[in-house]
Amino acid sequence: MLTGDRERAETEQHSSWLGRISATTSFLITCWKVNLASTMEYRVSFLLMAGMMFINNFMWLFFWSLFFGRFQVVNGWGIHDVMLMWAIGAGGFGWANMLFGNFNRIAPIVASGQLDVYLSQPKPVLLHVLASRMSLTAAGDFAFGLVVYAWVGDHSFSGLLLFFIGLLISGLLFMGVTILAGCLAFFIGNAEGLAQQVFNSFVALSTYPSDIFKGLAKTLLFTLIPAGVISYIPIGLLRGFDFDFAWKAAALTLGFGTAAILVFKLGLKRYSSGNAITLRG
Amino acid sequence: MRLDSRIFGSRLGLLQVKGRKAGAVAQITMRQQMAYKTDFIMRASFMLMILYVFVQLWSAAYGGDHTRVIDGYTLKQIIWYLVFTEAITMGVPALCGLIENEVKSGDIAIRLLRPLSYIGYHYAAYMSEAIFRFFIHLAVGGAIAWLSVGAPSFGYGWAGLFSLALGAFTVGFMLNMAVALCALWVEETRGMEFVLHKLQFTVGGMLLPLDLMPEPLRRVCAWLPFQAMLYFPARTAVNFGAAPVLQQFVIQASWIAVLTVLVMWMYRKGVSKLHVNGG
Repeated sequence: MLTGDRERAETEQHSSWLGRISATTSFLITCWKVNLASTMEYRVSFLLMAGMMFINNFMWLFFWSLFFGRFQVVNGWGIHDVMLMWAIGAGGFGWANMLFGNFNRIAPIVASGQLDVYLSQPKPVLLHVLASRMSLTAAGDFAFGLVVYAWVGDHSFSGLLLFFIGLLISGLLFMGVTILAGCLAFFIGNAEGLAQQVFNSFVALSTYPSDIFKGLAKTLLFTLIPAGVISYIPIGLLRGFDFDFAWKAAALTLGFGTAAILVFKLGLKRYSSGNAITLRG
Repeated sequence: MRLDSRIFGSRLGLLQVKGRKAGAVAQITMRQQMAYKTDFIMRASFMLMILYVFVQLWSAAYGGDHTRVIDGYTLKQIIWYLVFTEAITMGVPALCGLIENEVKSGDIAIRLLRPLSYIGYHYAAYMSEAIFRFFIHLAVGGAIAWLSVGAPSFGYGWAGLFSLALGAFTVGFMLNMAVALCALWVEETRGMEFVLHKLQFTVGGMLLPLDLMPEPLRRVCAWLPFQAMLYFPARTAVNFGAAPVLQQFVIQASWIAVLTVLVMWMYRKGVSKLHVNGG
Protein backbone atom coordinates (compact mmCIF):
# COMPACT_ATOMS: atom_id res chain seq x y z
CA MET A 1 0.00 0.00 0.00
CA LEU A 2 1.26 3.46 -0.76
CA THR A 3 2.12 5.74 2.15
CA GLY A 4 -0.61 8.19 1.15
CA ASP A 5 -3.26 5.45 1.04
CA ARG A 6 -2.19 4.13 4.44
CA GLU A 7 -2.36 7.61 5.95
CA ARG A 8 -5.80 8.14 4.45
CA ALA A 9 -7.00 4.75 5.78
CA GLU A 10 -5.64 5.55 9.24
CA THR A 11 -7.27 8.98 9.21
CA GLU A 12 -10.58 7.45 8.11
CA GLN A 13 -10.35 4.78 10.85
CA HIS A 14 -9.51 7.46 13.43
CA SER A 15 -12.34 9.70 12.34
CA SER A 16 -14.82 6.79 12.27
CA TRP A 17 -13.74 5.87 15.81
CA LEU A 18 -14.19 9.46 16.93
CA GLY A 19 -17.48 9.61 15.06
CA ARG A 20 -18.72 6.51 16.83
CA ILE A 21 -17.84 7.97 20.24
CA SER A 22 -19.57 11.25 19.46
CA ALA A 23 -22.64 9.42 18.08
CA THR A 24 -22.82 7.24 21.22
CA THR A 25 -22.42 10.29 23.45
CA SER A 26 -25.19 12.17 21.69
CA PHE A 27 -27.35 9.01 21.87
CA LEU A 28 -26.72 8.80 25.62
CA ILE A 29 -27.58 12.46 26.09
CA THR A 30 -30.82 11.95 24.15
CA CYS A 31 -31.65 8.93 26.33
CA TRP A 32 -31.12 10.97 29.49
CA LYS A 33 -33.20 13.85 28.13
CA VAL A 34 -36.07 11.51 27.28
CA ASN A 35 -35.80 9.79 30.69
CA LEU A 36 -35.87 13.14 32.44
CA ALA A 37 -38.83 14.31 30.38
CA SER A 38 -40.83 11.16 31.18
CA THR A 39 -39.92 11.46 34.87
CA MET A 40 -41.05 15.08 34.87
CA GLU A 41 -44.39 13.96 33.44
CA TYR A 42 -45.12 12.62 36.93
CA ARG A 43 -43.50 15.49 38.75
CA VAL A 44 -45.34 15.08 42.07
CA SER A 45 -44.42 11.40 42.20
CA PHE A 46 -40.83 12.22 41.33
CA LEU A 47 -40.48 14.88 44.00
CA LEU A 48 -42.24 12.75 46.58
CA MET A 49 -40.06 9.70 45.93
CA ALA A 50 -36.81 11.64 45.73
CA GLY A 51 -37.72 13.64 48.84
CA MET A 52 -38.64 10.54 50.78
CA MET A 53 -35.38 8.85 49.84
CA PHE A 54 -33.55 11.95 51.01
CA ILE A 55 -35.32 11.74 54.38
CA ASN A 56 -34.81 7.97 54.46
CA ASN A 57 -31.04 8.40 54.25
CA PHE A 58 -31.11 11.06 56.94
CA MET A 59 -32.89 8.62 59.23
CA TRP A 60 -29.89 6.34 58.89
CA LEU A 61 -27.61 9.20 59.89
CA PHE A 62 -29.91 9.78 62.83
CA PHE A 63 -29.38 6.17 63.92
CA TRP A 64 -25.62 6.56 63.61
CA SER A 65 -25.68 9.81 65.57
CA LEU A 66 -27.49 7.96 68.36
CA PHE A 67 -25.01 5.10 68.16
CA PHE A 68 -21.99 7.38 68.28
CA GLY A 69 -23.65 9.41 71.01
CA ARG A 70 -23.35 6.30 73.15
CA PHE A 71 -19.99 5.01 71.82
CA GLN A 72 -17.81 7.93 70.70
CA VAL A 73 -15.44 5.95 68.47
CA VAL A 74 -15.77 2.44 67.05
CA ASN A 75 -12.53 0.93 65.76
CA GLY A 76 -11.21 4.35 64.76
CA TRP A 77 -14.42 5.50 63.06
CA GLY A 78 -16.32 8.55 64.25
CA ILE A 79 -19.71 9.97 63.26
CA HIS A 80 -18.00 12.28 60.74
CA ASP A 81 -16.53 9.30 58.86
CA VAL A 82 -19.85 7.46 58.86
CA MET A 83 -21.62 10.54 57.48
CA LEU A 84 -19.16 10.74 54.60
CA MET A 85 -19.46 6.99 54.06
CA TRP A 86 -23.20 7.49 53.57
CA ALA A 87 -22.58 10.51 51.33
CA ILE A 88 -20.26 8.46 49.09
CA GLY A 89 -22.46 5.34 49.13
CA ALA A 90 -25.79 7.08 48.53
CA GLY A 91 -24.31 9.66 46.14
CA GLY A 92 -22.54 7.03 44.01
CA PHE A 93 -25.60 4.82 43.96
CA GLY A 94 -27.66 7.92 43.13
CA TRP A 95 -25.79 9.05 39.99
CA ALA A 96 -25.48 5.47 38.71
CA ASN A 97 -29.19 4.91 39.15
CA MET A 98 -30.13 8.27 37.61
CA LEU A 99 -28.03 7.85 34.48
CA PHE A 100 -28.03 4.04 34.14
CA GLY A 101 -31.16 3.08 36.05
CA ASN A 102 -31.44 -0.43 34.59
CA PHE A 103 -28.19 -1.67 36.13
CA ASN A 104 -30.01 -3.56 38.85
CA ARG A 105 -32.68 -4.91 36.48
CA ILE A 106 -30.49 -6.91 34.10
CA ALA A 107 -31.70 -10.29 35.43
CA PRO A 108 -35.45 -9.66 34.91
CA ILE A 109 -34.81 -8.02 31.52
CA VAL A 110 -32.82 -11.04 30.31
CA ALA A 111 -35.10 -13.65 31.87
CA SER A 112 -38.27 -12.14 30.42
CA GLY A 113 -36.84 -11.80 26.90
CA GLN A 114 -36.96 -8.01 26.89
CA LEU A 115 -33.46 -7.79 25.41
CA ASP A 116 -34.93 -8.31 21.93
CA VAL A 117 -35.86 -4.64 21.75
CA TYR A 118 -32.27 -3.54 22.35
CA LEU A 119 -30.74 -6.17 20.10
CA SER A 120 -32.74 -4.92 17.16
CA GLN A 121 -31.24 -1.43 17.38
CA PRO A 122 -27.80 -0.34 16.13
CA LYS A 123 -26.47 0.83 19.49
CA PRO A 124 -24.19 -0.81 22.08
CA VAL A 125 -26.62 -3.23 23.76
CA LEU A 126 -25.44 -2.98 27.38
CA LEU A 127 -25.16 0.81 27.29
CA HIS A 128 -28.58 1.07 25.67
CA VAL A 129 -30.16 -1.20 28.31
CA LEU A 130 -28.54 0.68 31.17
CA ALA A 131 -29.42 4.17 29.98
CA SER A 132 -33.04 3.31 29.20
CA ARG A 133 -34.31 3.95 32.68
CA MET A 134 -34.02 6.66 35.30
CA SER A 135 -34.78 5.83 38.90
CA LEU A 136 -37.17 8.20 40.66
CA THR A 137 -35.64 7.75 44.09
CA ALA A 138 -32.04 8.07 42.92
CA ALA A 139 -32.20 11.86 42.62
CA GLY A 140 -32.86 11.98 46.37
CA ASP A 141 -29.85 9.74 47.03
CA PHE A 142 -27.59 11.88 44.88
CA ALA A 143 -28.82 15.12 46.44
CA PHE A 144 -28.31 13.57 49.87
CA GLY A 145 -24.68 12.79 49.01
CA LEU A 146 -24.05 16.38 47.94
CA VAL A 147 -25.80 17.89 50.98
CA VAL A 148 -23.82 15.74 53.43
CA TYR A 149 -20.59 16.65 51.62
CA ALA A 150 -21.53 20.35 51.83
CA TRP A 151 -22.28 19.84 55.52
CA VAL A 152 -19.24 17.92 56.76
CA GLY A 153 -16.88 17.45 53.80
CA ASP A 154 -13.59 19.12 52.97
CA HIS A 155 -14.50 22.15 50.84
CA SER A 156 -11.04 22.75 49.38
CA PHE A 157 -10.47 22.06 45.67
CA SER A 158 -8.57 18.83 46.41
CA GLY A 159 -11.28 17.77 48.88
CA LEU A 160 -13.97 18.33 46.24
CA LEU A 161 -11.95 16.44 43.64
CA LEU A 162 -11.41 13.48 45.97
CA PHE A 163 -15.12 13.48 46.85
CA PHE A 164 -16.05 13.27 43.17
CA ILE A 165 -13.48 10.50 42.61
CA GLY A 166 -15.09 8.71 45.57
CA LEU A 167 -18.54 9.12 44.00
CA LEU A 168 -17.22 7.82 40.68
CA ILE A 169 -15.64 4.71 42.26
CA SER A 170 -18.72 4.04 44.36
CA GLY A 171 -21.19 4.33 41.45
CA LEU A 172 -19.06 2.27 39.07
CA LEU A 173 -18.53 -0.46 41.67
CA PHE A 174 -22.25 -0.65 42.38
CA MET A 175 -22.84 -1.01 38.65
CA GLY A 176 -20.06 -3.53 38.01
CA VAL A 177 -21.03 -5.91 40.82
CA THR A 178 -24.76 -5.65 40.17
CA ILE A 179 -24.47 -6.14 36.40
CA LEU A 180 -22.27 -9.22 36.99
CA ALA A 181 -24.89 -10.65 39.33
CA GLY A 182 -27.65 -9.80 36.83
CA CYS A 183 -25.74 -11.59 34.03
CA LEU A 184 -26.29 -14.85 35.90
CA ALA A 185 -29.68 -14.85 34.18
CA PHE A 186 -27.94 -15.69 30.88
CA PHE A 187 -26.50 -18.83 32.40
CA ILE A 188 -28.97 -20.07 35.00
CA GLY A 189 -32.25 -18.65 33.74
CA ASN A 190 -34.39 -17.06 36.41
CA ALA A 191 -31.72 -15.36 38.52
CA GLU A 192 -33.86 -12.39 39.56
CA GLY A 193 -34.01 -13.36 43.24
CA LEU A 194 -30.33 -14.16 43.46
CA ALA A 195 -29.28 -10.97 41.67
CA GLN A 196 -31.56 -8.92 43.94
CA GLN A 197 -30.04 -10.65 46.94
CA VAL A 198 -26.49 -9.83 45.82
CA PHE A 199 -27.55 -6.23 45.19
CA ASN A 200 -29.26 -5.81 48.59
CA SER A 201 -26.38 -7.40 50.46
CA PHE A 202 -23.84 -5.28 48.60
CA VAL A 203 -25.73 -2.07 49.38
CA ALA A 204 -26.13 -3.08 53.04
CA LEU A 205 -22.47 -4.04 53.45
CA SER A 206 -21.26 -0.77 51.94
CA THR A 207 -23.08 1.23 54.65
CA TYR A 208 -21.23 -0.11 57.70
CA PRO A 209 -17.71 0.89 58.77
CA SER A 210 -15.43 -1.65 57.09
CA ASP A 211 -13.13 -1.71 60.14
CA ILE A 212 -15.68 -3.57 62.26
CA PHE A 213 -14.87 -6.65 60.16
CA LYS A 214 -11.82 -8.80 60.67
CA GLY A 215 -10.00 -11.71 59.07
CA LEU A 216 -11.59 -13.49 56.13
CA ALA A 217 -14.70 -11.26 56.14
CA LYS A 218 -12.52 -8.17 55.75
CA THR A 219 -10.48 -9.76 52.95
CA LEU A 220 -13.68 -10.69 51.11
CA LEU A 221 -15.00 -7.14 51.49
CA PHE A 222 -11.95 -5.76 49.74
CA THR A 223 -11.76 -8.39 47.00
CA LEU A 224 -14.62 -10.65 45.91
CA ILE A 225 -17.45 -8.54 47.40
CA PRO A 226 -15.86 -5.08 47.15
CA ALA A 227 -18.45 -3.30 49.33
CA GLY A 228 -15.66 -2.58 51.82
CA VAL A 229 -13.96 -0.40 49.20
CA ILE A 230 -16.97 1.92 49.08
CA SER A 231 -17.30 2.16 52.84
CA TYR A 232 -13.54 2.71 53.32
CA ILE A 233 -13.40 5.72 50.95
CA PRO A 234 -13.92 8.31 53.76
CA ILE A 235 -10.88 6.91 55.57
CA GLY A 236 -8.59 5.88 52.70
CA LEU A 237 -9.34 8.71 50.29
CA LEU A 238 -11.03 11.65 52.03
CA ARG A 239 -9.51 11.68 55.53
CA GLY A 240 -5.97 11.17 54.18
CA PHE A 241 -4.95 10.15 50.68
CA ASP A 242 -3.76 6.55 51.02
CA PHE A 243 -2.08 5.75 47.70
CA ASP A 244 -2.11 2.00 48.37
CA PHE A 245 -5.90 2.04 48.90
CA ALA A 246 -6.50 4.45 46.00
CA TRP A 247 -4.81 2.34 43.31
CA LYS A 248 -6.36 -0.88 44.62
CA ALA A 249 -9.81 0.74 44.62
CA ALA A 250 -9.28 2.01 41.07
CA ALA A 251 -8.01 -1.40 39.92
CA LEU A 252 -10.96 -3.22 41.50
CA THR A 253 -13.43 -0.78 39.93
CA LEU A 254 -11.83 -1.22 36.53
CA GLY A 255 -11.68 -5.00 37.01
CA PHE A 256 -15.33 -5.36 37.99
CA GLY A 257 -16.44 -2.98 35.22
CA THR A 258 -14.50 -4.87 32.56
CA ALA A 259 -15.68 -8.23 33.90
CA ALA A 260 -19.29 -7.02 33.79
CA ILE A 261 -18.97 -5.93 30.14
CA LEU A 262 -17.22 -9.17 29.12
CA VAL A 263 -19.64 -11.45 30.94
CA PHE A 264 -22.58 -9.55 29.42
CA LYS A 265 -21.09 -10.03 25.94
CA LEU A 266 -20.51 -13.71 26.66
CA GLY A 267 -24.05 -13.99 27.94
CA LEU A 268 -25.46 -12.36 24.80
CA LYS A 269 -24.10 -15.28 22.77
CA ARG A 270 -26.20 -17.64 24.89
CA TYR A 271 -29.28 -15.44 24.89
CA SER A 272 -32.29 -16.82 23.14
CA SER A 273 -35.37 -14.76 22.57
CA GLY A 274 -38.64 -15.75 24.12
CA ASN A 275 -40.44 -14.28 21.10
CA ALA A 276 -42.28 -12.04 23.49
CA ILE A 277 -43.58 -8.88 21.88
CA THR A 278 -42.17 -6.07 23.98
CA LEU A 279 -41.95 -2.34 23.59
CA ARG A 280 -39.70 0.07 25.40
CA GLY A 281 -41.64 1.94 28.03
CA MET B 1 -86.48 -12.00 75.01
CA ARG B 2 -86.82 -14.06 71.84
CA LEU B 3 -85.90 -10.99 69.80
CA ASP B 4 -82.80 -10.46 71.96
CA SER B 5 -81.67 -14.03 71.51
CA ARG B 6 -82.33 -13.80 67.76
CA ILE B 7 -80.24 -10.65 67.40
CA PHE B 8 -77.57 -12.10 69.67
CA GLY B 9 -77.67 -15.39 67.78
CA SER B 10 -77.47 -13.77 64.39
CA ARG B 11 -74.57 -11.58 65.51
CA LEU B 12 -72.74 -14.64 66.80
CA GLY B 13 -73.45 -16.39 63.51
CA LEU B 14 -72.19 -13.40 61.56
CA LEU B 15 -69.04 -13.34 63.64
CA GLN B 16 -68.53 -17.06 63.02
CA VAL B 17 -68.93 -16.59 59.27
CA LYS B 18 -66.45 -13.69 59.32
CA GLY B 19 -64.04 -15.79 61.36
CA ARG B 20 -64.30 -18.67 58.90
CA LYS B 21 -63.63 -16.32 55.99
CA ALA B 22 -60.58 -14.84 57.75
CA GLY B 23 -59.38 -18.37 58.57
CA ALA B 24 -59.67 -19.40 54.93
CA VAL B 25 -57.69 -16.32 53.82
CA ALA B 26 -55.00 -17.10 56.42
CA GLN B 27 -54.82 -20.71 55.24
CA ILE B 28 -54.45 -19.73 51.58
CA THR B 29 -51.72 -17.21 52.46
CA MET B 30 -49.84 -19.87 54.40
CA ARG B 31 -49.98 -22.25 51.41
CA GLN B 32 -48.71 -19.47 49.15
CA GLN B 33 -45.80 -18.91 51.52
CA MET B 34 -44.89 -22.59 51.46
CA ALA B 35 -44.82 -22.49 47.65
CA TYR B 36 -42.07 -19.85 47.44
CA LYS B 37 -39.21 -21.69 49.08
CA THR B 38 -36.43 -19.93 47.15
CA ASP B 39 -37.73 -16.55 48.24
CA PHE B 40 -37.59 -17.79 51.79
CA ILE B 41 -34.03 -19.02 51.54
CA MET B 42 -33.02 -15.65 50.08
CA ARG B 43 -34.65 -13.70 52.88
CA ALA B 44 -33.17 -15.98 55.50
CA SER B 45 -29.68 -15.61 54.03
CA PHE B 46 -30.09 -11.81 54.02
CA MET B 47 -31.02 -11.96 57.69
CA LEU B 48 -27.93 -14.07 58.38
CA MET B 49 -25.76 -11.46 56.71
CA ILE B 50 -27.36 -8.51 58.51
CA LEU B 51 -27.06 -10.21 61.89
CA TYR B 52 -23.45 -11.08 61.18
CA VAL B 53 -22.83 -7.36 60.53
CA PHE B 54 -24.64 -6.45 63.77
CA VAL B 55 -22.59 -8.97 65.75
CA GLN B 56 -19.40 -7.38 64.37
CA LEU B 57 -20.63 -3.83 65.02
CA TRP B 58 -21.77 -4.42 68.59
CA SER B 59 -18.74 -6.56 69.44
CA ALA B 60 -16.60 -3.60 68.35
CA ALA B 61 -18.75 -1.20 70.43
CA TYR B 62 -18.47 -3.44 73.51
CA GLY B 63 -14.77 -4.00 72.84
CA GLY B 64 -15.52 -7.74 72.70
CA ASP B 65 -16.21 -7.74 76.48
CA HIS B 66 -19.07 -10.18 77.13
CA THR B 67 -19.43 -9.21 80.81
CA ARG B 68 -19.73 -5.44 80.30
CA VAL B 69 -23.22 -4.05 81.01
CA ILE B 70 -24.31 -0.88 79.18
CA ASP B 71 -27.66 0.63 80.25
CA GLY B 72 -28.86 -2.78 81.40
CA TYR B 73 -27.70 -4.76 78.36
CA THR B 74 -24.82 -7.17 78.00
CA LEU B 75 -23.46 -7.95 74.51
CA LYS B 76 -25.42 -11.21 74.53
CA GLN B 77 -28.68 -9.42 75.40
CA ILE B 78 -28.10 -6.82 72.70
CA ILE B 79 -27.50 -9.45 70.02
CA TRP B 80 -30.56 -11.47 71.01
CA TYR B 81 -32.58 -8.23 71.22
CA LEU B 82 -31.59 -7.54 67.60
CA VAL B 83 -32.58 -11.09 66.58
CA PHE B 84 -36.08 -10.46 67.97
CA THR B 85 -36.51 -7.01 66.42
CA GLU B 86 -35.18 -8.27 63.07
CA ALA B 87 -37.46 -11.34 63.15
CA ILE B 88 -40.50 -9.09 63.71
CA THR B 89 -39.39 -6.53 61.09
CA MET B 90 -38.62 -9.14 58.45
CA GLY B 91 -41.81 -10.96 59.32
CA VAL B 92 -43.94 -7.99 58.31
CA PRO B 93 -45.16 -8.45 54.70
CA ALA B 94 -44.73 -5.67 52.14
CA LEU B 95 -48.28 -4.37 52.45
CA CYS B 96 -47.68 -0.97 50.85
CA GLY B 97 -46.40 -2.43 47.57
CA LEU B 98 -49.33 -4.84 47.48
CA ILE B 99 -52.02 -2.19 47.95
CA GLU B 100 -50.22 0.23 45.63
CA ASN B 101 -50.24 -2.41 42.87
CA GLU B 102 -53.92 -3.16 43.50
CA VAL B 103 -54.76 0.52 43.12
CA LYS B 104 -52.56 1.08 40.07
CA SER B 105 -53.71 -2.04 38.22
CA GLY B 106 -57.35 -1.63 39.19
CA ASP B 107 -57.42 -5.04 40.94
CA ILE B 108 -58.81 -3.27 43.98
CA ALA B 109 -62.18 -3.17 42.19
CA ILE B 110 -62.34 -6.98 42.25
CA ARG B 111 -61.35 -7.10 45.92
CA LEU B 112 -64.05 -4.59 46.80
CA LEU B 113 -66.69 -6.68 45.05
CA ARG B 114 -66.05 -9.70 47.25
CA PRO B 115 -68.28 -10.33 50.28
CA LEU B 116 -65.35 -9.76 52.60
CA SER B 117 -64.12 -6.67 54.39
CA TYR B 118 -61.21 -5.19 52.44
CA ILE B 119 -59.19 -4.31 55.55
CA GLY B 120 -60.21 -7.60 57.22
CA TYR B 121 -59.05 -9.60 54.21
CA HIS B 122 -55.63 -7.97 54.24
CA TYR B 123 -55.35 -8.31 58.02
CA ALA B 124 -55.99 -12.07 57.92
CA ALA B 125 -53.48 -12.58 55.08
CA TYR B 126 -50.96 -10.27 56.76
CA MET B 127 -51.10 -11.97 60.17
CA SER B 128 -50.79 -15.43 58.70
CA GLU B 129 -47.75 -14.46 56.63
CA ALA B 130 -46.18 -12.38 59.40
CA ILE B 131 -46.38 -15.11 62.05
CA PHE B 132 -45.08 -17.77 59.68
CA ARG B 133 -42.14 -15.59 58.61
CA PHE B 134 -41.46 -14.51 62.19
CA PHE B 135 -40.80 -18.08 63.32
CA ILE B 136 -38.56 -18.86 60.34
CA HIS B 137 -36.49 -15.72 60.89
CA LEU B 138 -36.40 -16.37 64.62
CA ALA B 139 -34.89 -19.79 63.94
CA VAL B 140 -32.31 -18.44 61.47
CA GLY B 141 -31.41 -15.42 63.60
CA GLY B 142 -31.37 -17.53 66.77
CA ALA B 143 -28.85 -19.89 65.21
CA ILE B 144 -26.36 -17.12 64.43
CA ALA B 145 -26.84 -15.44 67.82
CA TRP B 146 -26.38 -18.76 69.60
CA LEU B 147 -23.14 -19.39 67.72
CA SER B 148 -21.84 -15.83 68.28
CA VAL B 149 -22.81 -14.96 71.85
CA GLY B 150 -24.21 -18.14 73.37
CA ALA B 151 -27.51 -19.83 74.16
CA PRO B 152 -30.54 -17.75 75.20
CA SER B 153 -31.56 -17.97 78.87
CA PHE B 154 -34.54 -15.65 79.07
CA GLY B 155 -37.06 -17.67 81.15
CA TYR B 156 -40.43 -15.86 81.20
CA GLY B 157 -39.02 -13.49 78.57
CA TRP B 158 -40.11 -15.97 75.90
CA ALA B 159 -43.74 -15.80 77.06
CA GLY B 160 -43.50 -11.99 77.01
CA LEU B 161 -42.04 -12.04 73.51
CA PHE B 162 -44.68 -14.30 71.97
CA SER B 163 -47.65 -12.61 73.60
CA LEU B 164 -46.47 -9.06 72.85
CA ALA B 165 -45.49 -10.06 69.29
CA LEU B 166 -49.16 -10.51 68.34
CA GLY B 167 -50.01 -6.95 69.35
CA ALA B 168 -46.78 -5.78 67.74
CA PHE B 169 -47.78 -7.28 64.38
CA THR B 170 -51.22 -5.68 64.65
CA VAL B 171 -49.70 -2.25 65.37
CA GLY B 172 -47.38 -2.89 62.38
CA PHE B 173 -50.35 -3.75 60.19
CA MET B 174 -52.24 -0.59 61.12
CA LEU B 175 -49.19 1.65 60.54
CA ASN B 176 -48.43 0.02 57.19
CA MET B 177 -52.08 0.08 56.17
CA ALA B 178 -52.35 3.79 56.99
CA VAL B 179 -49.40 4.45 54.67
CA ALA B 180 -50.65 1.94 52.05
CA LEU B 181 -54.08 3.59 51.89
CA CYS B 182 -52.39 6.84 50.87
CA ALA B 183 -52.13 5.08 47.47
CA LEU B 184 -55.80 6.01 47.01
CA TRP B 185 -54.71 9.65 46.89
CA VAL B 186 -51.11 9.70 45.65
CA GLU B 187 -50.56 6.22 44.08
CA GLU B 188 -46.82 6.14 44.91
CA THR B 189 -46.39 5.11 48.53
CA ARG B 190 -42.95 3.49 48.46
CA GLY B 191 -41.20 6.64 49.59
CA MET B 192 -43.51 7.00 52.58
CA GLU B 193 -43.06 3.32 53.32
CA PHE B 194 -39.28 3.81 53.42
CA VAL B 195 -39.68 6.60 55.92
CA LEU B 196 -42.08 4.53 58.06
CA HIS B 197 -39.55 1.70 58.12
CA LYS B 198 -36.77 4.06 59.11
CA LEU B 199 -38.92 5.41 61.94
CA GLN B 200 -39.32 1.84 63.14
CA PHE B 201 -35.56 1.31 62.80
CA THR B 202 -34.70 4.36 64.88
CA VAL B 203 -37.40 5.60 67.24
CA GLY B 204 -39.00 2.15 67.24
CA GLY B 205 -35.84 0.71 68.76
CA MET B 206 -35.06 -1.83 66.05
CA LEU B 207 -31.36 -1.08 65.73
CA LEU B 208 -30.80 0.40 69.16
CA PRO B 209 -32.82 -0.31 72.34
CA LEU B 210 -34.54 2.86 73.53
CA ASP B 211 -32.69 2.47 76.87
CA LEU B 212 -29.46 3.42 75.10
CA MET B 213 -30.91 6.64 73.70
CA PRO B 214 -30.65 10.09 75.29
CA GLU B 215 -33.33 10.79 77.89
CA PRO B 216 -35.20 13.58 75.98
CA LEU B 217 -35.55 11.32 72.92
CA ARG B 218 -36.75 8.44 75.06
CA ARG B 219 -39.51 10.66 76.39
CA VAL B 220 -40.58 11.50 72.83
CA CYS B 221 -40.48 7.80 71.83
CA ALA B 222 -42.76 6.96 74.74
CA TRP B 223 -45.53 8.94 72.99
CA LEU B 224 -45.08 7.28 69.61
CA PRO B 225 -46.63 4.00 68.39
CA PHE B 226 -43.38 2.56 67.03
CA GLN B 227 -42.05 1.32 70.37
CA ALA B 228 -45.13 -0.93 70.73
CA MET B 229 -44.09 -2.77 67.59
CA LEU B 230 -40.44 -3.64 68.18
CA TYR B 231 -39.06 -2.39 71.46
CA PHE B 232 -41.73 -3.84 73.79
CA PRO B 233 -41.51 -7.50 72.71
CA ALA B 234 -37.71 -7.55 72.26
CA ARG B 235 -36.95 -5.73 75.53
CA THR B 236 -39.36 -7.95 77.46
CA ALA B 237 -37.72 -11.05 75.97
CA VAL B 238 -34.14 -10.20 76.95
CA ASN B 239 -34.88 -8.16 80.08
CA PHE B 240 -38.07 -9.59 81.55
CA GLY B 241 -39.24 -7.46 84.47
CA ALA B 242 -37.47 -4.29 83.30
CA ALA B 243 -40.95 -2.80 82.71
CA PRO B 244 -44.46 -3.91 83.76
CA VAL B 245 -45.79 -6.24 81.05
CA LEU B 246 -49.42 -5.28 81.68
CA GLN B 247 -48.65 -1.63 81.03
CA GLN B 248 -47.11 -2.58 77.68
CA PHE B 249 -50.23 -4.56 76.73
CA VAL B 250 -52.41 -1.55 77.59
CA ILE B 251 -50.22 0.79 75.49
CA GLN B 252 -50.30 -1.67 72.56
CA ALA B 253 -54.10 -2.01 72.81
CA SER B 254 -54.55 1.78 72.94
CA TRP B 255 -52.43 2.28 69.82
CA ILE B 256 -54.30 -0.51 68.02
CA ALA B 257 -57.60 1.23 68.85
CA VAL B 258 -56.39 4.68 67.74
CA LEU B 259 -54.79 3.37 64.54
CA THR B 260 -57.84 1.25 63.68
CA VAL B 261 -60.03 4.37 63.80
CA LEU B 262 -57.53 6.19 61.59
CA VAL B 263 -57.31 3.32 59.07
CA MET B 264 -61.11 2.92 58.86
CA TRP B 265 -61.54 6.66 58.36
CA MET B 266 -58.88 6.74 55.64
CA TYR B 267 -60.40 3.69 53.95
CA ARG B 268 -63.91 5.19 53.82
CA LYS B 269 -62.61 8.54 52.57
CA GLY B 270 -60.29 6.94 50.02
CA VAL B 271 -62.70 4.39 48.58
CA SER B 272 -65.40 7.01 48.10
CA LYS B 273 -63.13 8.92 45.72
CA LEU B 274 -61.72 5.87 43.95
CA HIS B 275 -62.13 5.66 40.16
CA VAL B 276 -61.12 2.51 38.36
CA ASN B 277 -61.03 2.61 34.58
CA GLY B 278 -61.42 -0.53 32.52
CA GLY B 279 -60.56 -3.78 34.25
